[in-house]
Amino acid sequence: MTGATIDHLVSVVIFLVAILIFIGLFNQTIQTAILYQQHRYLATKCSDTLDNILLNPGSPPYWGLTSTNPTSFGLQDPEFTQYRLSPFSLMRLNSSIGTPAFYSKTGLYYSNTTTGFGESLLVPYNEAIDSKAAASLLGINGSYGFSLTFTPTVTVSVSEVQFNPLEVQVKVAGSGYPFAYSNISYCLINTTNVAGTYPSYNIIKQDNVPTDDQGLASLSFNGTIGSYALIAYAHTNGLVGVGCYEHLCYTDNYAVPLVSDFDSGDMLIANSWDIIGGANPSAISYNATFVLLTEDFTLQEMSLENATQRTGIVNFGMGQPYGIIKISTDNPGILVISYMKADNNSDSGIVLMPWGISSMAFPLTFGDDPNRKEWVATDIRQVTVGNIAYQAKLALWSLEGYQMVN
Amino acid sequence: MRTVEILLVIIIITGAFIISSFFAVLPQPRRVSPINLRRLALTTLQTLDSDHGLSTTAFMPPDDSSWNSLEAAISACLPPNIVYNLTVYQVQTNGSALYQPLKSISNVEDLGVESDASSSLVASSNVTFNVIPEKIGERGDGGTLYILNCSDANGWWISGYTAQTLAQDLCTLFSPYFQPNNIILLNNTGQLGQVLDGIPIQGERIQNAIVINTFGEAVPIPTSYANKYSSDNYAQYCYQLGNKTLYCNWTWASIVGDPFYYVTNIVKFNGIQSWGIYGTQTVGQKGLTAFLRGLNNLTYISPSDTSYQEIGTVNLTSTMLANCSNYGIYPSRSQTSSRALPNSILAAYNLVARVLLFDPSPSYPTYIPGALFEHRNGGSVAGRFLDLGLARTPDIRLTALALLSYFNPRLYRAEHTVADTSRLVVLQLGQVGGI
Repeated sequence: MTGATIDHLVSVVIFLVAILIFIGLFNQTIQTAILYQQHRYLATKCSDTLDNILLNPGSPPYWGLTSTNPTSFGLQDPEFTQYRLSPFSLMRLNSSIGTPAFYSKTGLYYSNTTTGFGESLLVPYNEAIDSKAAASLLGINGSYGFSLTFTPTVTVSVSEVQFNPLEVQVKVAGSGYPFAYSNISYCLINTTNVAGTYPSYNIIKQDNVPTDDQGLASLSFNGTIGSYALIAYAHTNGLVGVGCYEHLCYTDNYAVPLVSDFDSGDMLIANSWDIIGGANPSAISYNATFVLLTEDFTLQEMSLENATQRTGIVNFGMGQPYGIIKISTDNPGILVISYMKADNNSDSGIVLMPWGISSMAFPLTFGDDPNRKEWVATDIRQVTVGNIAYQAKLALWSLEGYQMVN
Repeated sequence: MRTVEILLVIIIITGAFIISSFFAVLPQPRRVSPINLRRLALTTLQTLDSDHGLSTTAFMPPDDSSWNSLEAAISACLPPNIVYNLTVYQVQTNGSALYQPLKSISNVEDLGVESDASSSLVASSNVTFNVIPEKIGERGDGGTLYILNCSDANGWWISGYTAQTLAQDLCTLFSPYFQPNNIILLNNTGQLGQVLDGIPIQGERIQNAIVINTFGEAVPIPTSYANKYSSDNYAQYCYQLGNKTLYCNWTWASIVGDPFYYVTNIVKFNGIQSWGIYGTQTVGQKGLTAFLRGLNNLTYISPSDTSYQEIGTVNLTSTMLANCSNYGIYPSRSQTSSRALPNSILAAYNLVARVLLFDPSPSYPTYIPGALFEHRNGGSVAGRFLDLGLARTPDIRLTALALLSYFNPRLYRAEHTVADTSRLVVLQLGQVGGI
């Protein structure tokens, strides 16, 4: 009798232990399957969300050209179909990697996209769209986090071989491959300063300069060159890229263009000392012009609307007004501002600002940081932004999912 | 004994677990959360063909150097862990093999089991594909287009143009959409009077015609009509035009400004001028009121003014923008409206705005800057009126856009049936690396 009881107890204990172990094993398999299912759903959601963003222009369709906040979020160029994006809608996205700039004379913070000295895009936060607003309009706020990046497909690198006489090398490459025998159009803006006046410039343009089998092209210029900027467009097999280079004789103080109002196209010209400070503040005079890329890949100078505003002097410190210029075109282009120290015409330089993010092939990162998220789904599309080839990549992660790690 | 039984149970459950695990094979993480390779391939093909570079290369000989450029371009477009195979097929139409591979470029021997593809049909640059529009009137309404081209009249608010040049341009714009004999230029006010009297110029059908007034804010008046309908500074003539539009089921199109503000006939009004334009007589804003009363078949009384509103910049609606692409007419998206009509005219004269050209102005939501109105007589349409209350100088492309949007002629596109004019490009992508 006792033996039977012990046998019974032992068998029950073994049975319970075995059941627990098997439940654990099955549970683990099921848990993994559920996780896989959720990850698959996330990947599908990522692909759908990316297409939602890229294949509709939002509402109103031309919100990128105005200061109004969209009521539906989308980046497609309303004048085209498929994966062609509006360079102006992209310009209104709040960059998530640049350090915000504060300009005390307007009392505003600016979203900062800077790719190098003298190549910047500063958009006031009250005109920019932040990722939270975009997520709300996409219907994923609180459910998913995202990071949307736009990277130019073609890299055009411009470097100075020698200054006098000027020789510049342009290198065109994709991801690891040089673009042999591609065509280059370029525009050299050279300051020719005269004492006591505003800085002036001349523009040298040429198109259809081929690269060699290494994707390199050498450009030579005769005559006196001061501070200059060179903008080069390269195009081959449907892919268009752009690169810029500035040679600056003076960088203590310089002109900083700031977007003021998308509706009116007003830009502010600020003295750099008022934004980033510096050791030797000085007033600077400036002369602004605008160049745009035509459909045949040539660069065309376009007059600014108000001829009297294109030149001026901006001083540093409180009480000194900033300059205002107006860009009155819906076509992407580059605002070129030549500047010089107001009391020394040899101290000069040139700064560039894209009007439409594609005109200088600015990269853009919009959204939150995907680092340290447990599972991030990504998807990629090739897109065209104002004729410039970009790669659009969306990283998406769940904010409320199973086993989410914060 | 029970312990033995339990051990047997455990063995059975273990067996069940092993067997079920054998069937429940979980996919690799890469397959769980894949990149959408099909979309990536499609967008890559579209980007490569954005300036027809892919189309050009696809028709090059297989040993041409442009294939090397294409190879570099594809590599530039794709992330490093994506491998590809691009194959170009010749499209044959002789009934045997439909697709014959011509050239293939790839950066890997085997794409593996995980791959996806997209394709694109590219056309040779040597071939032109025609679009043949349907003729307006083939499906019922319309069929005749009258364009006022009167040499004995002067226009107003058409600065920079003459009515005659505008008439010629309109003729060119509309020529694909009408039978050649059905576009009739009314070259003098006498011909206009003939049509108003119901007598065809060259045997055309007057009923359901479209009449475009190219004289801006002025409207030509035949001498006989000027003698007969001169009440209220010729507002009575405008009433007659409205009434004629009603009974002939016309579409009366005004290209700019305040329609019927002046009447013009340089013989009848010899020596009379308005704002320096000789041969014109001011009717005023009551001209439009008279026209609308005539259109709505109300009895003629001395008309009051129809007030308009200056509302500034207006933008084409999204429907109009789509129609711009459809018909290949591209006026500026933004226009300036200085003569927008109040929407109170809709109820007052039984009008329905069927084609709205512009989004309403947020500041003046009750005004219509430009629209094609249908006049309703009971349940049916009896007369139409196109008003473009815009500032000078006129853009006749807007007139064309409005009329085409209303009549909506279909566009028949030619088929790609000519031999060796198309190539099929298939881009297959695979993913390597990772787990």
